[in-house]
Amino acid sequence: MNDLSQPMSSEYSEGAPSACHDPYLRCAFFGAAQTVTGIRRACVLSHSPQGCDQLVNTAFGWQQTDYLATKSLCSKLCEDEIVHGGEATLAKVIEDARAFSVSAVFVLTACGPEMVGDDIVAVCQEMAADVPFQLVPIECAGFRGTQYDGIDIALHGLLNQLVENPGEPMDKIPDSVILIAPHASANPSWPGDLSWVEDILERFGLTVLASLTHGTGLEQLRDIGRAQYSLMLTHDCGYRTETLLADRWDIRPLLPTSALNRSQRLPLPVGFSNTGRWLQRLGQVLDKEDLAQKMVVQGEQFAVEQLRRQGLPYEFFNGAQVAILADATLAVPLLGMLAEDLECEPVAVGIRSRAPELHALVRDECDRVAISPRIETGVGVYETAQILSAAKPDVIIGSNIERHLAEDLGIPYVLRVVNPVARFRLTNREYFGYHGFLNLMEIMQNDWWDTFRSKKRHNRAHWLDGRGEGVEP
Amino acid sequence: MLNPDMRQIAIYGKGGIGKSTIAANLSVALAQGSKEIMQVGCDPKRDSTRNLTGGRLIPTVLDTLRDCLRRGRDQHSIELEQIVFPGSAGVHCVEAGGPEPGIGCAGRGVLTAIQILRDLDAYRTYELDLVIYDVLGDVVCGGFAQPIREGFAREIFLVCSGEFMSLYAANNIARAIERLSRRGQARLSGLICNSRGHPTLEKLVLEAVAKRMGTQLVGFIPRSQSIGRCEVEGITVMEGAPESEAAGAFRTLSERVLATEGGVIPAPLELEELEHIYRHCAREEGS
Repeated sequence: MNDLSQPMSSEYSEGAPSACHDPYLRCAFFGAAQTVTGIRRACVLSHSPQGCDQLVNTAFGWQQTDYLATKSLCSKLCEDEIVHGGEATLAKVIEDARAFSVSAVFVLTACGPEMVGDDIVAVCQEMAADVPFQLVPIECAGFRGTQYDGIDIALHGLLNQLVENPGEPMDKIPDSVILIAPHASANPSWPGDLSWVEDILERFGLTVLASLTHGTGLEQLRDIGRAQYSLMLTHDCGYRTETLLADRWDIRPLLPTSALNRSQRLPLPVGFSNTGRWLQRLGQVLDKEDLAQKMVVQGEQFAVEQLRRQGLPYEFFNGAQVAILADATLAVPLLGMLAEDLECEPVAVGIRSRAPELHALVRDECDRVAISPRIETGVGVYETAQILSAAKPDVIIGSNIERHLAEDLGIPYVLRVVNPVARFRLTNREYFGYHGFLNLMEIMQNDWWDTFRSKKRHNRAHWLDGRGEGVEP
Repeated sequence: MLNPDMRQIAIYGKGGIGKSTIAANLSVALAQGSKEIMQVGCDPKRDSTRNLTGGRLIPTVLDTLRDCLRRGRDQHSIELEQIVFPGSAGVHCVEAGGPEPGIGCAGRGVLTAIQILRDLDAYRTYELDLVIYDVLGDVVCGGFAQPIREGFAREIFLVCSGEFMSLYAANNIARAIERLSRRGQARLSGLICNSRGHPTLEKLVLEAVAKRMGTQLVGFIPRSQSIGRCEVEGITVMEGAPESEAAGAFRTLSERVLATEGGVIPAPLELEELEHIYRHCAREEGS
């Protein structure tokens, strides 16, 4: 756990974060699986015991991948492969992939085979000439880090192995963009955010060449070097990818988020004010400020009219003390949205990831909206309970996990906007943009009402003042 | 019927120090004393029992298991006769086997092999009095400590010479035993010296180190050309030169091993202390 309220200089000298108490995040293997399942017409081969393959199945669900379009194989390693090494088994499973009509097979390694020294890169190199598909080995054992580390590992693997290193400047496709790590968001239906961004970019006259990754074709990947811009859709990872794209293929960040461009860094467009700033910055960069202003005016008008017509009673937010427990992709812009748009007071922020680039962004955002919440990164569920116990907020913005914590801590309002959320959704609902702002408000409003749907919880919320104080009836 | 008093001892020590030689001769010496002995080689090289089988390398447990798996069967289809072979003086010989160099996990393999022996009820079937595990090299990772961790190797003897690096390795193994004693029943039963030809210094150093660790020097095997000659023939010195000084030392060792039950949680030394003891003994020997 990393307390951002402490001076920057001491943040890293105090050593690694505390041990994983009930981690929110899954391992690097899962992050890599999330990434490669976003490639169409390919096969994901998990070189792992069969339990790890469950993470690949979960990744299929996260990417909303069609099982008929993207295939899955597992080497189902057992004790024999751990003792003797599993390279022969891997080779056999690669042969099995001939049964599929795919252009590429992504070979992911789990912890076991990496620990016993299976050299998947060598196996893939040896078999490359004999199989009718490209083999892409990605060494992403779970112990290499969190799912965000896995996303970074896999993105590097894809870019290094599927995109040619030009050596000399390539012909650029004017106004083309690469979108980085849209799938890293904890919005349970994050493809909605991706669609919103694609739509906005199209209105600005930009063409999305490829998303890294979601429904991405191999041919799109191979053409990545010709893109003009990149655009990060996460604050949790992808920084290395942004740098790699710039260094190797001269793909310029559209809205820089790297530490080198601190003054230009912006939170993602979640919330009324953030969306306006994000659109206006795009307009400045692309020299289309009038268009951006028009989008802002139209969007704000739409959101305000909608709120007025529906009579959304969101006054309960006014002045409320709020704790945000989320990934950085949502937590960072939520700081501004809560403080600026809803006029409440963020008192605590627990961010699941801990990318070094995050710290300056969070601090800048707090300074901008003049708030000083307790901010911690790399939190697990245990740390979250500690944060909530100390902060005693009126409202939690988080996930289903915090709902259970809140019941123990006597915090009445838990608004569930980030994964995991026990809600069935048939359509992707974006959080980005003005429509996304209304989506968030709708979720928050419904969860607020849910508080009163149980007699016990109704009484608790009614008689207690939200900080667990007062007399319970 | 399983002998309730069956003992399981493990021989650890620096690579090349003579563990297999000592294990094989100890096995024969104990067997000649009317004990039912099994020696389990826990090294992928599978040469621990070579001197018990006339120089022949016997099939390993893990190779046999792999054959079964390839035929769609599991370990329960293995017959004990496929993996346990009669050796000199009736010692039951087993080689765990393991992966090829550079891949796989040898430590896990050793544990798998021992578990197969247990699952197939080998200890009960042969009514063993004592099992000797001849474990490879140093404890270099958690995998090689598996026989200790899982409670198979309960009484551990460390083989060393008077050479400093062998003491260093023995001390590291003592550290592992101390760590693993929290969970299992593994204890250090003593040091065995396989002499390199400096008996005075070796005895001084090893007795001092053993005392500091909280244990004792249980055996001293003198340097002997007869041991080397017998190894070339693929036999133990107990058979090839039964009247030799070395054979006598192995008989004495077997008696002490039988008399040494239990053991201690060792107190490993810091490197500086080990160096200090060594220098002190070297000066004492010189004077």
